[in-house]
Parts: sequence; structure tokens; C-alpha cells
Amino acid sequence: MSAPIVATFREGLSRGELLIQQCSDCGRPNMYPRYACPFCQSERLTWQRSKGRGTLHSFTILRAGAPAGFEKDLPYALGVVKLDEGVQLLARLLPDADGSWDGYTCDQLLEFAPPEASGPQRALCAWFRRAARA
Amino acid sequence: MSDTWPLRTRAGAAEDPVFVGVGELPSGRYPDRTFIGDLTAVALRALRDAQLKPRDIDTILLIPNLHSFSDQADLIFSRLVEELGLAGHAKASFMVHSGGSTSDNAVRVAGGLISSGHARAVLALQCERWGSADLAEMITMLSKNGIPGEWELPTGLQFNAIGALITRRYMHASGSSAADMAAVCVALRKWAQLNPNAMYLGKSLTVEQVLASRMVADPLHAMECPMLADGAAAFVMTSAENAARHGIGTMVRIAGSGGCVSHYSIGQEPDLAVLGWPTAAKRAYEQSGWGPRDAQLAEIYDSYAAVTAIALEGLGLAEKGEGARWFATHCVPGGRLPCNTNGGLLSAGHTGVGGGMALLIEGVRQLLRRAERSRQVEGCERCIIGGTGGSYMDAQVLLLERYLRGARA
Repeated sequence: MSAPIVATFREGLSRGELLIQQCSDCGRPNMYPRYACPFCQSERLTWQRSKGRGTLHSFTILRAGAPAGFEKDLPYALGVVKLDEGVQLLARLLPDADGSWDGYTCDQLLEFAPPEASGPQRALCAWFRRAARA
Repeated sequence: MSDTWPLRTRAGAAEDPVFVGVGELPSGRYPDRTFIGDLTAVALRALRDAQLKPRDIDTILLIPNLHSFSDQADLIFSRLVEELGLAGHAKASFMVHSGGSTSDNAVRVAGGLISSGHARAVLALQCERWGSADLAEMITMLSKNGIPGEWELPTGLQFNAIGALITRRYMHASGSSAADMAAVCVALRKWAQLNPNAMYLGKSLTVEQVLASRMVADPLHAMECPMLADGAAAFVMTSAENAARHGIGTMVRIAGSGGCVSHYSIGQEPDLAVLGWPTAAKRAYEQSGWGPRDAQLAEIYDSYAAVTAIALEGLGLAEKGEGARWFATHCVPGGRLPCNTNGGLLSAGHTGVGGGMALLIEGVRQLLRRAERSRQVEGCERCIIGGTGGSYMDAQVLLLERYLRGARA
């Protein structure tokens, strides 16, 4: 059974929402979800919906050596995304329409990609794609 | 509150903790060697090097392996005490663990125990069977350890992907080309040709070969990824006073150390091209009074070229953005600052937590001036050790210096 913070985060993803924790006392956002605010240690944490926009700090395309359960996904891309809200996370990156990630570069604008019923996304982690325009 | 840690021991003090010996077994694929056999052999090598007997040791500090859960348990439950004939004699036997930086933290633990009087002489030792271990169990340990299960495991992250995320950001920030990064691997291979314990002894490497190898995790080619190896290493530390009592004249002391734990999850590191190195270096230099120009060699964790390049910059050894190019030019045999003189993890072999251990004991060996002649750094007095663990969660810096009995600091 997942801890409540994990379940809440993943339920958000499956609804197409990227959730960020926010402290009810100091007001600061935090990610990954935690049991206490890392800034003021308050345990009164709530959730807000991210606008889903950010920049790509770094990324890679894994082509070999997938962990158990991910072999069929190869090749797949992972990126560290810095959200406009001031928090960051590791996410999967959707390929462009040509099936490649050739168009991706560091510091590029990205947007959260809600899972589609027919798409490749799994709801256990966040997915991003290149933003259409700045 | 000042962010300083004044050193409580000084050169020449009776309680100053010092290295007196090191031991190592060759790294590579050795299916016929065994875990406990290698630990015993490497312990005896380190003790011989120190001119001490097992009974001179009262504390055994074990460095974990990442190849097997049951071997890990054997270490924790003191098997080595029995193997070395120290049952009923040893005061303590326990493990320290911070992944690839374990060796650096083991030095701090051993030094603190010795200078405070809780230990007389500490044997720290490590064996890894990554080259010959059960593949499924090893991949499980490698893919799950050091990655937050709730938040990053579901992405399909693994170790080469972590190295690739750091490499990509470093190349972007520094303007280093693929050839610049490959040249670091080639420089390390040159050192490995001078180290009889290196996995890649006798195997040359060119930039063209690296770049022609298959892409594993863009921008990392297969030959830029470390080869998993069997290996074992050990060191012995005691107080300067106890060393003198045993007639030991040449030792290596800790002039200072600094560290910075910058993240746990790779997705939470604010700058993958910087990591914790500037903070760790500042703390180490402040504690020791050294600057970046005061050492004659460096031994810095190199599971991927970018990891070392970033450290060189954070330590102030290379200009910002020049780490990879600087390494390939100046850190080679005969260069301005010999670095990773054993060939590093990338060419001596990645022995898990032992990769940092091998670099540490190479630095100590160089300062004791017991390296093979072809790679011994002439007249070296001071060495910078750099380590990092897990998802490059921390940067650890040890500043070591040669010390002769009777010398005045």
C-alpha cells in the first residue's frame, strides 16, 4: 500500500494533474512530496496544481540496460525539469512526432503531458513534451 | 555561527591520526577468487605494508559491497574478526556506508576514533565482486539503491542514465565536445598502463574508439561507462604515537577535510554541472589552510568523465568550464597535476564502493612513495582526494600530506 502522499500524487497524475505540495504555514512549494515542510518543518501541507510549464535542466535517452520492467520501453528519455513554480523533478520525456528526441536541448521550454488512454505514458510518474512556443 | 570546522589535531601531536599502510588486489574479472578470501588477503597485505600484526588492530571498519545481500550481512555480523584471528581481542567491528564516498567517511570515522582514544589502530577494508557476481541480484541492487522508490524508480532511471544527466548538463554548461569528454577516458587509460592492479592494463584506447562505441545513454557511449570489476582494498590507520611505538617512520596525515551533501534524488540537484564540490572544497581548504595549488597530485572519483571534470572545477584546480579539457591536458602521466594515477574507476575498474577506496589508497600509497616507479609522483608531499556517492549526492574532499616521524610541522 502506498503512503498517502504517494497515492495523492499518483491520483493527480492519473487525472491529468501535476500536483505540488505547498506549506500552509510558510507558504513555500516543495517537491518531491514530503511528510514535513523542508523549509519550516510544518506538518500542515496542502496540494496545488502545477501550471505544468518549466525548463529542461538535463536529459538522456536510455538505449540499453533498462531496469526490470522497463525493457520494452527502450529507448526512452528522462529529464530533470525545473518548473516555473520553483521546484523540480525527474520526468519521462515524450518523443517528437518523428519518434525521436533529436529536437530536445538543455534549457528548452517544456510542458506537462497528461496521460492519454492510447499513449505510452504510465501514470506513476510525470511526463513532459516540448512546449509549442515560449 | 561560522561555517568552519577547526581541526582538533595537529601534525606532530601524539593523537594525530595517520595512515601507516595500504593493501590492494588486482581489479578485473576473477571468478576463482572469493569474497572472504579476498578480504583476508587484502587485510594481510595492508598489515604487512604497515609492518603490523593482526593483533595490533583493535577496530575493524568494514566498507560495504554492492554485489550481494548475504555477503553484506556477513560483514555487519563481524565475520572478519573471526577470519583474522581477532575473536576475543577486537574491540569493535562495524560498517560505514555512503556509497562511493564511503572510503572518505571511513577515514573521518577512523581518525575520530583514534584521536579521541576510542580506537588504537583501525583496519578499514573492502571487497567487491561486481565482475563475477550474480547478475540479476547485482542489477537489482544497482537499480534500486540510491534512487527514491516513490518518485524516481517509476521513471525507469538507472546508473548510466544518472551519469548521462550529469554529463549532458556539464557539456552544455562548459561547451565541452564529445571528443573532449572521450579524451578524459583516454588519459585515464594511460595511467592504467602503469598500474599492475588495473583492469585495463595492456589495453590501449583512443578518442576515435570511444566515439565509435555504441550509444548507451545519450550522450554517453559504451566506452565512457565504467566496467564493473572484482577488487579489494584496505588501509590501516593509527595514532602518530602508536606508529612511533611500532617503529614506523613514514606516515600520511589528514591536513583537513570538507564535504557537502547536495541532494539525495538526482531530480533534486539544483545544478548538475556543479554539484556539492565548491562548498566541499571551500570547507576543506579552510580547515587545512591549503589552496588548490598546494597539492602535487589528486585522486578524484571518476565513474564518468564529467564527474571528475566537475570536481576539478569545484576544487579550483581547473578554470570553470575547462575541467574536461584540463584533465586530458594536465592530469596525464608527466603532466602538471597527476590525477587518478591508478587509472581511476574508468580504467582500473569500477569496484562499486571500492572505486573510491582504490583512489584513496592510491593517494596514500603515492604519499608513502610506495607506488611502482613508473607512476610514482616524484617528491610528492600533498594529495587531494575527492569522492562522491549514490546519485552523486555528496562531494567529499580529503587533504592528505606525507609526514615523517620527528618532523616539525
